[in-house]
Amino acid sequence: MSHLNREKPLIEAQDVAKSFNTQAGSVELFRNLDVRIMPGESLAIIGRSGAGKSTLLSLLAGLDTPTEGQILFDDQPLEQLDDAARADLRLQQISFIFQSFHLLPELDALDNVRLPLEIQGRKDADAQARHWLQQVGLGARLDHYPAQLSGGEQQRVAIARAFATEPKVLFADEPTGNLDDDTGQQIIEQLFDLNTNAGTTLILITHDIDLASRCQRRLHLQNGRLEEVPA
Amino acid sequence: MSLLTRLAARQLLTQLRTTEWRALLLASWIAIALTTLLAVLGDRLERGLMRESASLLGADLVLSSSRPLTPERLQGLPLQGIQQTPVIQFPSMVGQGDNLMLVSVRALQAPYPLRGELVTEPAGTGIPAPGEVWVEPRVMTQLQLQPGAQLEFGYQPLTVSRELLASPDRGTGFRSFSPHILVNAADLDASGVLAPGSRANYRILFAGSSAAVRTLDQALRPTLASHERIHALQADQPLTGNALGNALSYLKLSALIALLLSALTIMLALRRFSLGQHTRSALLLNLGLRPGQLVRVYLYQLLLAWLLTASAGILTGFLLESAVYQWLAELLPQALPPAHWLRWLSGAALGLALLVLLGLPPILQLARIPVAHLLRGDAPPRDRTALLLQGASMILLAATLLAFLEAPLAALGLLAFLLLGGALFGWLAQGCLLLCARPLARHLLLGRLLLMRLRQQRQWHRLQAAVVVMLLTLLSVVWVSRTDLIEQWQAQFPSDTPNYFLINIQPWQKAELDTFFAERALDTELYPMIRGRLTQLNGNPIQPQLNAEQQDHNTLRRELNLSWRAERPAHNPLVAGDWWQPGDTDAISIEQDMARELGLELGDRLGFDIGGIAVEGVIRNIREVVWTSFQPNFYIIFNPEALQNAPSTWITSFHLPAEQRALSRDLLQQFPSLTLIDIDQVLTQLAGWLQRLGDSSALILALSLGCGLLLLGVTLLQALEQRRFESALLQTLGVSAEQARRLDLLEFLLIGLVCGGLASASAEGVLAMLHQWLLQIPPRLHGELWLLLPPLAAMVFVLIGWLIRRPLRLDQCYRLLRAG
Ligand SMILES: Nc1ncnc2c1ncn2[C@@H]1O[C@H](COP(=O)(O)OP(=O)(O)O)[C@@H](O)[C@H]1O
Ligand SMILES: [Mg+2]
Repeated sequence: MSHLNREKPLIEAQDVAKSFNTQAGSVELFRNLDVRIMPGESLAIIGRSGAGKSTLLSLLAGLDTPTEGQILFDDQPLEQLDDAARADLRLQQISFIFQSFHLLPELDALDNVRLPLEIQGRKDADAQARHWLQQVGLGARLDHYPAQLSGGEQQRVAIARAFATEPKVLFADEPTGNLDDDTGQQIIEQLFDLNTNAGTTLILITHDIDLASRCQRRLHLQNGRLEEVPA
Repeated sequence: MSLLTRLAARQLLTQLRTTEWRALLLASWIAIALTTLLAVLGDRLERGLMRESASLLGADLVLSSSRPLTPERLQGLPLQGIQQTPVIQFPSMVGQGDNLMLVSVRALQAPYPLRGELVTEPAGTGIPAPGEVWVEPRVMTQLQLQPGAQLEFGYQPLTVSRELLASPDRGTGFRSFSPHILVNAADLDASGVLAPGSRANYRILFAGSSAAVRTLDQALRPTLASHERIHALQADQPLTGNALGNALSYLKLSALIALLLSALTIMLALRRFSLGQHTRSALLLNLGLRPGQLVRVYLYQLLLAWLLTASAGILTGFLLESAVYQWLAELLPQALPPAHWLRWLSGAALGLALLVLLGLPPILQLARIPVAHLLRGDAPPRDRTALLLQGASMILLAATLLAFLEAPLAALGLLAFLLLGGALFGWLAQGCLLLCARPLARHLLLGRLLLMRLRQQRQWHRLQAAVVVMLLTLLSVVWVSRTDLIEQWQAQFPSDTPNYFLINIQPWQKAELDTFFAERALDTELYPMIRGRLTQLNGNPIQPQLNAEQQDHNTLRRELNLSWRAERPAHNPLVAGDWWQPGDTDAISIEQDMARELGLELGDRLGFDIGGIAVEGVIRNIREVVWTSFQPNFYIIFNPEALQNAPSTWITSFHLPAEQRALSRDLLQQFPSLTLIDIDQVLTQLAGWLQRLGDSSALILALSLGCGLLLLGVTLLQALEQRRFESALLQTLGVSAEQARRLDLLEFLLIGLVCGGLASASAEGVLAMLHQWLLQIPPRLHGELWLLLPPLAAMVFVLIGWLIRRPLRLDQCYRLLRAG
């Protein structure tokens, strides 16, 4: 891992804390968290439900702001960016894969993948979308609507959509949470294959130890602390 | 097509399958159709009958008087460059044989009219030649006249030479709605129908360059006597006190209910819609769509919906307008001009305002949803800006509605009444529901669940009950009073109630007339009638001694009909004071409402201006007058010694049984200058109007009911998830699907019955008040309401509930519970 130290981290969380104001008072999820994520790295965040994994993810992706500390993306403190700049960052550099797929039901598979490309204004949107659907093995089902696809197939469309914009970072929040084991396994294979080929940084939330073990690093979020788990 | 419009179109297409969008589209469709109908019909009525336009006045300026206008009246006025022509308009009975009808006669001299034109069949120019008469279609049909027929007009038979299809200068008020005939002024003297002192409206029409007319107007105004009026163009104001105008604003007010209900439906539909769009918006934002673009996608969707409903709404408005116009056509004096084309768009404009104003706040909320929603399910932030926005759009919407209704105060009043009434009915219904459910809970397994349900759904129940009870009440009142009120009102009169008034009796005809009636064994009494104004109270001008409301009193704004008598009229009991003795020359008797409203008491000295002569009298007694007795009645009665030398005409009323109708013909042949008014005919005409008005407002209320049902559907929809979840939970806990269904049925039945019962009660209340205060007859119960409304309301609830809620299969329950 020595070469990693020479490079700059892509995302860096410095002394980050997050707490929520609820009716019962202020609830602190975690504090003094430090994370450095290198370009091209794959990283798993594990922890039990309610530990704050999704919250951490939304901080790292700039969807939410920490109560204390700061997050740097490409050396740029996220807090210094306004809403528009952060939206632009997401558009150009970040993709998400969600537990519940989140496809638009009235668009077919091709249009679902094409949508972010068209928003980016890319001329080759159609070709790109077809290419990535081919990559996830759905080349023959371009005109199928989400309701006509199985859960696994829907998630594959979502994966194609995530890779199609060629992001620097891919965030996946429990991508297999809504799938049965076998299908989940296949999805994971595909995700890692594509990731390796594309050289994308992958940040994956899971409570599946097998899945986590396929990542280069594993971090365990527990009682507000983040600990590196050895392989 | 750009990505955004494509997305909007796709979204709309998918949404069309959801109940909330269907409700939204239907609600805005009804709102647009109704607004179009009222805007167009209102404009036509105003242009055709209510505004003082040149083509309606037949002139640029009209001087109108209740006394003859002689050439001397115009002396000293700047008449250079001004054309003028005199018109006399008066009511008269005309006919053929026994077939008589009351018409409004206009006696003309050429040139006529000075502006606009007479439309006749066969077409032509000019005015009726001496010996000819032009009559309106209603006269043709009622008297069964053919062109060329003879019409008896006093001593002078006239030949019907043309049918009069449209004419300006119809006069104001009720007379403009009577059927008209036009005669040449040269025939007037020979016919003998208009004697000196007879009731008639004398006009002079003026026309000229606008500068000349303005000069004349300015010179004329300061010289106006109290019995004279000027009608001019420059103030394009609706005629005041016009019954048609009142009817129109009444219809517009009843439309307010439908508009409010549609607005509420659209609001709730959009609320539900936007709740379902949180994830989607977050996703689109996450995929890189900018908030502005997202707002545009949703706005496009609303605009598409508007295009759809506006075209359907304008078309429906057109059909409704043609139908209502057909209804009114037989009552209207003449065909109405088409509406200004912009009026056709007012419904669509209001629809756009509704959709955008109601849609913008939730849409802007959607654009502010955090992308983190996708990870955690956060709702969009509800902060001050959101609330402010919502408040602002509500105010704008209210302003738009009020502007459309053109009667902001009445509309605000109605709004407050609806809100208060609605709140009251909501609470009442809820109380009744709980009262009914408690005993059920003791005896039924489902009863306990029902209590739970009632507690959980209480807010929606209140809203539903408020809407349903209000609507059913209004609808029943309008429906029942449509026919019932007039019938009841007429039925209260004893069978010998006078059905004819005879006016314009000259003093020298009195003896002859008494003989005429005595020979035919008709019991009548003639009363002298003198016109005068009340000007003084206790020696000083009366106006400054009164408050603002009193100053505007009906009896002060016009000339009063005064009378004199030695004895008290038998049908006028005294409520204070005593009748006078011979020699009490200055004693007068006053009607009790006038005395009370003007604050006049026994012993007050009143001064009158009778044709320029001042006459005084001291209030000796106060009389009760039932104006609807169809007896000659007067506000003020003098001692004969005070007034019997003043110029007067005489009036009487009598009852003529149907088999003696021919007598009226003899009467008019012998006394052509008398004006005989057939009360039955007048009442039939009035009843016709009231019925059409009732029908029109029933139509509007039926549309409102449609809106109300949509609203009901949307409110049931709001709680649908909650119901489904609860039902799923119950089913997994061992309640059968059938039982869960029965629980819903029980709830709908119960709330329906309660709403129907409340509506019957409140409709009875309103009807009783109408009977008591408007018609002053004892109220009666309407059993049919009590039998009809509760099952009807229950059916409505069950039907809508059934349409919206499909039963849940067991596997669906599991899925629902897992997701929840
Ligand atoms: N906006 C918020 N307000 C209050 N509490 C929150 C908010 N977001 C998350 N939480 C709480 O923080 C805790 C962690 O949530 P989350 O990050 O979703 O956990 P995980 O993804 O590890 O299951 C939960 O208890 C959740 O209720
Ligand atoms: Mg989570």
